[in-house]
Amino acid sequence: MSSLDAISVNVEAETGNVRPLLHEIRHALKRLANGEDGTVIDLRRLPLAPGEEERLDALLGKGEVHAEVDALGPTGVQETLYPGVWLITHCNAEGTTVARFIEVTRVPELLMSQQEDIDAGIRRLEKELEN
Amino acid sequence: MTLLEFASGPGLQWALWIFVFGVVWRLIGALFLLSRKDLTKPREYNSVAAGVGAIISRSAPAHAFEKSIRFQHVTGYAWHFALFISVLFFAPHILFFESVLGFSWPHLPNTIILVTAAVAVAVLIALLIRRATHPVQRFISNADDYISIFVVLISLITGILAFAHVGARYETLLAIHLLSVEVMLIWFPFGKLMHAIMTMPARYQAGTAFGRRGIKA
Amino acid sequence: MHKDQTLGEYLRLQGVSRRGFLKYCSATASLMALPPSAAGLVADALAAARRPSVIWLSFQECTGCTESLTRSHAPTVESLIFDAISLDYHHTLQAASGHGAEDARLTAMEENAGKYVLVVDGSIPIGNPAFSTIAGISNLDMLKETAANAAAIVAVGTCAAFGGIPHANPNPTGAVSVSEIIKDKPIINVSGCPPIPVVITGVLAHYLTFGTIPELDALGRPAAFFGQNIHDRCYRRPFYERGQFAETFDDEGARKGWCLYKLGCKGPTTYNACATLKWNEGTSFPIQSGHGCIGCSEPDFWDKGGFYNALSVGNWGNRDALLGAAAAGAALGVGSAIAARARKKKAQAAEEV
Repeated sequence: MSSLDAISVNVEAETGNVRPLLHEIRHALKRLANGEDGTVIDLRRLPLAPGEEERLDALLGKGEVHAEVDALGPTGVQETLYPGVWLITHCNAEGTTVARFIEVTRVPELLMSQQEDIDAGIRRLEKELEN
Repeated sequence: MTLLEFASGPGLQWALWIFVFGVVWRLIGALFLLSRKDLTKPREYNSVAAGVGAIISRSAPAHAFEKSIRFQHVTGYAWHFALFISVLFFAPHILFFESVLGFSWPHLPNTIILVTAAVAVAVLIALLIRRATHPVQRFISNADDYISIFVVLISLITGILAFAHVGARYETLLAIHLLSVEVMLIWFPFGKLMHAIMTMPARYQAGTAFGRRGIKA
Repeated sequence: MHKDQTLGEYLRLQGVSRRGFLKYCSATASLMALPPSAAGLVADALAAARRPSVIWLSFQECTGCTESLTRSHAPTVESLIFDAISLDYHHTLQAASGHGAEDARLTAMEENAGKYVLVVDGSIPIGNPAFSTIAGISNLDMLKETAANAAAIVAVGTCAAFGGIPHANPNPTGAVSVSEIIKDKPIINVSGCPPIPVVITGVLAHYLTFGTIPELDALGRPAAFFGQNIHDRCYRRPFYERGQFAETFDDEGARKGWCLYKLGCKGPTTYNACATLKWNEGTSFPIQSGHGCIGCSEPDFWDKGGFYNALSVGNWGNRDALLGAAAAGAALGVGSAIAARARKKKAQAAEEV
């Protein structure tokens, strides 16, 4: 492998999509602040050059909240340095990323307990209390 | 066979054959028509210098006409420069020429080519309108003139449309551009577009013939 | 899972929470190139979806499409689609063999008549149908028999969609695509050599969720994935515009990741999702790895004039033919000049007399 590493590769590519994406996030945040609905951006839909997605992650940074959801594999929910802007990374059970979203919202729906699950939980608790 | 397969395959093949065959036929034919023996008494002259001199001197208007034909002079050069830069310095074109000729040359950025191509189209359309409306021009123009202009104009316009992906799917635009160029290549040897090949040899021949008689051509 | 169960019930019984189901639907909506806001729609549709029977026929193929698909997933999301469908017949994945396998196919066809999805990979040789047979049945006969009562057909891979490599010049087996044989069923062409795995599962997910085939382009491919050409989504496009090209595979331009047009990239005439979805769960795609696109999702891509000839070079033949044309032109030129002089001499002679 050392001979492969000796080939210097210095990729300069850029789609220029990072800045427009940040503008889109800014507009979404303003709408959220005005009481309007949240926005979800699918990062898989945009062409991003190698290194640009990392640059975006670095720009958004890490905020106060980090949550790990364990449902059908791990999902990382990270509030970025910009409150209301959440980075959601869905992985399957082998840890491979299957989807990435930026959610502009007060709290991502994924973190909220779902009605069906609550109902199922009530039934389980009642059963537990019967014993 | 799709349109693009035809345009980049057999269409291009036949167009190139007809172009090469026709141009070589007319050029060699014209050269062989010259009289072998010049029976005049040669003056003191250098035939090559006289020939090249004629090419250079006839590249600008004669002094007496300069002012009155300034428009044709300037637009003529603008048209030809814009055309040459667009055709000869666009990277994909150079790759095609390399496949035909066996050698290549450096290219220019695409945005420059887009500008020169747009200038070429604009100037050509302006000259076409002048040709059709100016009384003298209209009088002396024939079908050959209009066909020659038309085939070059559609090649340029379809090229710009293909480059900008405007109007249809890219493969269709590319096929139409190739077909336009093929029509131009097939027409080339049989019409006034041959001036591209004949002008310099014709001037050279006039220069040497006149130089032998002691006249500056 | 019983055939009468909905997918929602099936997942709940598997212990998948509503939260997990929502994650699954977001990822599936993304897979199907739907906007994120459609995740709710997908959730409602999937919760009520029934489990379709799928019969997968492999004909004259290299198994690359199945390999691509099985490599792509792990437990959860994509594999759930396969849990959700009832894959009743598949050479590589099924445990049964021989008569048992063929019986399974015929039973599935009978029990689900008019409702099963037929997936085909590989081309069908019609030059001599005996070139490719399964259990003594030619591919041609098996396709016609199985397609007769299918609800829809998914032709996976360029071989099934357009004939692929067997169809390449001189096509010794007389290989043809599915759509050249079956004319009376809806066919979705998922082309690519192989297709991007998430595209295959995206199409199946669409059928599973909505029960309909997605919007198709002129070549029968799902427009959501094949609607854009590679060139228009390629991250190296700015280099093309600025005229910065790699001239060889190891020069400075190549190392800097410049445009690969001169090295034969067929991106401008190839329609696929490689530039956005990429391969290996979004890791990379050929151009990003430094090799031009070979146009593998287009018909006859093997015969389009060479992978390393630039698009603008075309497929016009060779220089020898041009030299021949020049020689012929020269001969005609000399000949016509001599003839013209002879006429002139004759006319002069006639005048002098």
